[in-house]
Order: sequence, then structure tokens, then C-alpha cells
Amino acid sequence: MTFSERMLKIDRRIIFMVIGLCTLLPLLYPVGLPIKISPEVRNVYEYIESLPERSVFLLSIDFDPASKPELHPQAIALLRHAFRKNLRVVAMTLWVSGTGMADQLMKQVSSEMGREPGRDYVFLGWSPGGSAVIINMGQDLYTAFPSDYEGKPTRGIPVLEGVHSLKDVTYAISLGAGNPGVEAWYVYGKDKYKFELGGGCTGVIAPGLYPLLRSGQINGLIGGLRGAAEYESLIEQKGRAVAGMDAQSATHLAIIVLVAMCNLFYFSLRQQKGRG
Amino acid sequence: MPQPVSVTDMDATILGAWMATGLTLFIFSFLYQDNPLFKLAEHLYVGVSVGYTIVKAYDTVIVHLIVKPIVEEGQIALLIPVAIGLLMLTRYVPRAAWMSRYAFAFIVGLGSGLAIPRTISSFVLKQVEDTIRPLLFQAGDGLTFSFNLLNPASSLNAVIILIGVSTVLFYFFFSIEHSGPGKIVARTGIVFLMIAFGAAFGYTVMARMSLLIGRLTDLIEFSDVSYGRPTWWLLMLTIAVLVLLARRVPNRPPDLH
Repeated sequence: MTFSERMLKIDRRIIFMVIGLCTLLPLLYPVGLPIKISPEVRNVYEYIESLPERSVFLLSIDFDPASKPELHPQAIALLRHAFRKNLRVVAMTLWVSGTGMADQLMKQVSSEMGREPGRDYVFLGWSPGGSAVIINMGQDLYTAFPSDYEGKPTRGIPVLEGVHSLKDVTYAISLGAGNPGVEAWYVYGKDKYKFELGGGCTGVIAPGLYPLLRSGQINGLIGGLRGAAEYESLIEQKGRAVAGMDAQSATHLAIIVLVAMCNLFYFSLRQQKGRG
Repeated sequence: MPQPVSVTDMDATILGAWMATGLTLFIFSFLYQDNPLFKLAEHLYVGVSVGYTIVKAYDTVIVHLIVKPIVEEGQIALLIPVAIGLLMLTRYVPRAAWMSRYAFAFIVGLGSGLAIPRTISSFVLKQVEDTIRPLLFQAGDGLTFSFNLLNPASSLNAVIILIGVSTVLFYFFFSIEHSGPGKIVARTGIVFLMIAFGAAFGYTVMARMSLLIGRLTDLIEFSDVSYGRPTWWLLMLTIAVLVLLARRVPNRPPDLH
């Protein structure tokens, strides 16, 4: 068996170990590689930055714990920014399996930023219907969510004063890990009720959302952990996403090297067989 | 009389750390080989997800959106959607199963009515509008062609999009043979498709690595003494179980490739 053959039949657990070490070592010993801010992330930041105080900011936390490593840091960074700008935050989720996580997230960031439930923010929880909830909210927010996550009637909550439907929302962001997510918010929300929309998503679905970004259907896009790291850098509150960027770069480098080596051995083997 | 044991937030955090660490390591153990610890974690994941969803759906839908409004606020009109929903359950009674068609017809009709116009407007018309852009721009007295690749609205990018869309559409046009000049156009379409697949795969790799980073970050955090070092203890337990299992089944080598 030639060297190329041996390498192409290498125990896959060695590759798992290489990837594991490339991830673990930079997490233990970070080097702090620079993070370049992309225009799509900057657009979201600048739009929130341009909003007047007490504007209504709707954050739809459309993911569950399976996508937490990518989207949770995005949500934390966005909430910190919104609370710092003293916006009225209306949070909700279209994913039933993400309800508890979203509630915990809201409590954690609001308590860190010294914001009060009811006055500065409200977590509406989950309502059944998927995309239809967005249409329902466009007609009457209080029909879609008669009570908030704690069971308090939504009518009369101070943070919702003057908010009757999605038409009263100044800026909405959906952090989506699939459907319903960013696309549903555009199709059933922005396109119909004409509010400005931004998106955050997992890396897997980001390429599919770039056409919406280019056509101006969404005004910005935070893609994956990388996007979260960029947003953390913009608000100057570095967290888990920035901490993970060295590991991300190291694993990408390892995968590029592995792909290149695999091709090298493959073509080398093919050449040897051609000669034989 | 013994006092009930109160679970403080700290206890819950530590218990959660041990659970999360254990389940993460049990799932990771599959990378070595399939084993009972992985099966345990996998079944727990499915069971907890389904159980959580059922409980949340029951509490939100049945209790808060149906029972309370009808009983406490007298919203009798809600009985109409409840009745339509209950028709779905007639699927389980063969003699009355035909009644469920009314419920399905309602849902399909409503869903199509909502989705079709909005989807055509958002994904077809808006995207076509964005694809058909002028190749030359009015600047000062005359027309100009901008070469800036970094600007999505530049003329050069408009040309690239025009070529990409046309050639990919031609590639999927199977009514004529892709030969001669048509072969070049179709091949160009394949190149654009490969670039798109490459970009999608690159993002997928990034996403999967992000998930690994998330789990490893938690494992590092939970190796702290304040949590009782669950990472180390449970890592030792997982390795011990894998070693024991490897000794118990010596004639079945793991799948290496």
C-alpha cells in the first residue's frame, strides 16, 4: 500500500481529533485575531444606532437550543445595543421549543442592563400558527398575544403604549434558524405592513438570505457566529462570539489543509495507477 | 415533619451544568463508536424536545388561548375554530373520518390564499426586479460603467449577475441539446452553480464548527471548581465506559472509515 493510499484510508477518528484540537487550543490560549466588520452587519448596527430613544424594536427569537451557539450571542449583542439605546424592546418567538431559552435570555440581558419588564421590555412568548402569527400581529398585536409570557394581559403594558400592530414597529429583527424565520418575517411582515427589517441567521441559511439583502428586502444580515462576533466588536462588548473567532479561524485553516491534502493524495494515487 | 428540600438557583445551575456536560460528552462519544451512552443522550434529547413542545403547546393553546378566554371572558366565538380543530381528530374514527376533510380543506385553502400572493410578490417579482438592473449609469453628462467589484450595485456586478442568471437558466433548459455554443453557455452555468454550492458548503462548515465551539466553550466553563468539575469527572466516566465496552465486544471492530 502506497503512502497516498494509506493517507486516503486514514482512521477518521484522527481527523476528528485534529479538528477537536484545532478548536480547543485557541479557546484555551486565544491569540486575538483581528475581526473585520462586514457592511451587512454594520448596516444593522447603524440602523439601530440611528433610532430615536423609546422607538419600538421587535426582536423575534426564532430558534431553539440546537442553534444556540450561533444565534444566542447575536441576540445578546442586539439586546445590549437596544437597551443601551433605550429602545422599547418587544421580544417574541415563533419556535415553541425556544420559548424557555428566549425567556432566560431576556431576563439575563435586561437584568445586566438594569431594564425593567413592562416598562422597558416585554417578552410575549410563543403563539401558535407559525407565519400566520405575523399576519395576525399585523392586524392586531393583542389578538395574536392576548397575554405575555408571564400571563399578564398585554393590553395596558406600558412598553406597548401606542403599539397596536406591526405598523407601529420601528425596526424588527428576526434571528432565524429556519422556517419560520427571516424569510417569513419579510413575506408576511415587512412586505405587507412596511416596517424596516433586519435579519440574523445561522451560517447554514445565510447564503440563501443574501439575495434578500442585495435587493434591499432586508436592510442588514448577521450571519452565524462570525456575524455575532462582528456585532460584539461594534458595540464594544466582547463576548462568547469574539472568544470563538480564533477557534473558528483555526478549524477553517485545518479543513482547508485537509481538503488540499486529500486532493493531493487522490491525484497522486490516480497518477500512480495511470503509470501502472 | 421533614422540611421539603428547596432547589435554589445555584443548585439548578450546578445540576444543569452536570446534565449539559454529561449529555455533550455522551453525544461526542459517538465519534469514537456507537455506544449505549450515545443512545441514552439521543433518546433523552428526542423525549425532552417532544415533551417540552407538548407541554408548552397545551399551556399556550388549550389553557391560555381557548379555555381561559371562553370560560373567564365569555368569548363564545372561539368555539368555531375549536370545532374545526376537533374535526381533525375524526381521522381516528373510520366512519367519521370524512369530516376531517372540511378541516383540512379550510387549512389548505387559508394557507394557499395567504402564501401564494405573498410568495410571488416577495420571491419572484422582487428578485426579478433586482436582477434586471441597468448596465450603465447616468453620471454627469453621459453614461458610465463602474468596475467596483465590492459595490453590489456596480455595473460589473450587474453584468456578472446577468451572465450567471442567463447561463444557469440555460443549463436547466433541457429541450435542446447542450452542444456547440450551447455547451459553452451550459458549462458557464455549471461554473456559477459550483461557486454557489461552494459558498453554501463553506457557510455550512462555518456553522458546524460554530456549534462545536459552543459546546467546547461550555465544557471549558464547566471544568471549573465552582461547578464541581463535571467536565473532568464525566469525561473519565465516558472514557471508562468506552474502554469497558471495547473489552466486552472484542470481536466487533469499530467502523473506521
